[in-house]
Amino acid sequence: MVKTQSFKRQQEPPDLTGLVGMGFILLAMMPLVILPIASIFIFGFSKGPVHFWSALTEAPALHALQLSILTSAVATVCNVFFGVVAAWVMGRDQLRGSSALIVLISLPTAIPTAVAGFALLLLWGRSGLLGRFIEQTDYQIMFTTAAIILANIFVTFPLAFGVIKPALDNLDINYEAAAETMGATRWQTFRYVVLPSLRGAIITGALLTFARSIGEFGSTIMVSGNLAMRTQTAPLYIFAKFNEGDIESANAIAAVLALISFAIFSLIMLTKGRWGRWGRGR
Amino acid sequence: MNPELQPTTEPRRAALKVRGVSKWYGAERVLADVSFSIGEGESLVILGHSGSGKTTTLRIIAGLEKPDAGEILLNGRHIEHLRARERNIGVIFQNYALFPRMTVTENICFGLRIRGVRRTERERIAAEMLGLIGLTDQSDKYPGQLSGGQQQRVAIARALAYQPALLLFDESFSALDPQMRGGLRREIRALLRQLRIPALFITHDQEEAMELGDQIAILNRGQLEQIGAPEQIYHHPRSEFVAAFLGAANIIDLQLLAQPPLVADRSASAPPGRLLFRPEEVVLQPLPAPVEAPFLLGAGRVVEVGFAGATEWLNIELDLPAPRPLLIRVSRTRWESRQLRLNAGDPVAIGLRTFQILE
Repeated sequence: MVKTQSFKRQQEPPDLTGLVGMGFILLAMMPLVILPIASIFIFGFSKGPVHFWSALTEAPALHALQLSILTSAVATVCNVFFGVVAAWVMGRDQLRGSSALIVLISLPTAIPTAVAGFALLLLWGRSGLLGRFIEQTDYQIMFTTAAIILANIFVTFPLAFGVIKPALDNLDINYEAAAETMGATRWQTFRYVVLPSLRGAIITGALLTFARSIGEFGSTIMVSGNLAMRTQTAPLYIFAKFNEGDIESANAIAAVLALISFAIFSLIMLTKGRWGRWGRGR
Repeated sequence: MNPELQPTTEPRRAALKVRGVSKWYGAERVLADVSFSIGEGESLVILGHSGSGKTTTLRIIAGLEKPDAGEILLNGRHIEHLRARERNIGVIFQNYALFPRMTVTENICFGLRIRGVRRTERERIAAEMLGLIGLTDQSDKYPGQLSGGQQQRVAIARALAYQPALLLFDESFSALDPQMRGGLRREIRALLRQLRIPALFITHDQEEAMELGDQIAILNRGQLEQIGAPEQIYHHPRSEFVAAFLGAANIIDLQLLAQPPLVADRSASAPPGRLLFRPEEVVLQPLPAPVEAPFLLGAGRVVEVGFAGATEWLNIELDLPAPRPLLIRVSRTRWESRQLRLNAGDPVAIGLRTFQILE
């Protein structure tokens, strides 16, 4: 663990008003947030760990988890790459119309996920705008792994960019000028000076994108076809098993997804502390 | 180019020549036909207020900005069309711009790495540079772990490592604590002398300019007002701006003086122009004793006396039929003030050791 130094307000001995206030916040969060999360684990393990393990290791369950991790990973790589390139191009060259471009990049977060999935169907489906050309070949995009990846990319599109762009904007422009006067080309400057300084933002952006992707439901259910052992992601598996009345199986995967989210969340918190320290340079 | 702006020192081989450089930002001209040169192993300080165009001048020489007119020669070679990375110039930025994710050694090696120097050779040079700046024991630290003074020295070592043809210092002392500046300035001056690398400093601090510059160039609203050795500029400023910028100066319209000091040695009539003299060039004598100074300015009355450590300062009102009271500033050494103790209200005779007439 890395300790981060911060100068917070002096820790005062807890007074009664403060304790009552905190108690109230926790009380309000109980039915809203804390109990729902807790019940996943309470029910998941209610029949003992052996039962939990066997529910988890069923072939469709494992396949669903693997598919979710794979598609989320691919979407993360794509969006982080895009985020870095877009931030670099826009932040440093001040293109005309870049603020309009930022709005466009950020748009996917504002669109309901079911609408996003539907939109992808309209584009890539059999009679879709582009899908009709693919229809003539032997290939198909909708109802395949590729469709899930496309949906994940769409709904998480601005997340990495949204973290990387401000980090790049905050980077002292003189680092680049200094590298240039020392003889570095634009690429060398980017590779050796800018990219390492963005490391924290890239890690955070990747984790955010992955966390959002792995839980994606609305768009996935539209485009994947929800075929067990083929295009069924973990959230779809939970929903399917719940519909079948197989609560234990749904519960096991739900617990795993919740744990993955906690892990990612902790990593984000950790990277903030770790990379925030030397990030500003002086 | 205005021949008057040529430095008056003997001709020397110039490492850097800047000729007629101009720069516009939109309709605003930020540099107007700026020309100067820096001799081999010499240092030049461009002194100017913020907005005078000094930073633009530095950035143009570094290749970070393009001039709209003019040429720049480095060791006889035209460089104005080259990119910054092709110029082989070292820049020490105001906040040093040390790469935060690289250690001190990695920062120093960066320019060499870019030039494809082998690792063993890079490490040898880095060790040498660290020895030169006295930070051998800090080689594995990150910039964030160093003090401001140490960061500045690393920035210098980083620029020196690839043997640049010229060093540019962009207000490199302003971020440091005032107590440290003096020591670091002397250190850098000694280092530059030792390595014989020509250097250009830009600053708004006159003390820094006098300490660092073999030559000082005064830049005012994009125009070079004067260039020359520090003593020359201090004692023979060509304009009121230069006189007032470099130290304190008294400036009086000659028409106001009943008996201009010139009468002591030249013809009697008061010429047009302004009289300029430094506070420390004034000699005060008790009235009616004759002034033992080359030139007599007239009589006056002490208005205020103050203590400034090594010196004493006085405000003196001249006895002249001027529309407004005419005050001059005088500074005296402790020895001088012991010779003649003065208090507010005392009448005095005022003489000048030297003075200058501005047209």
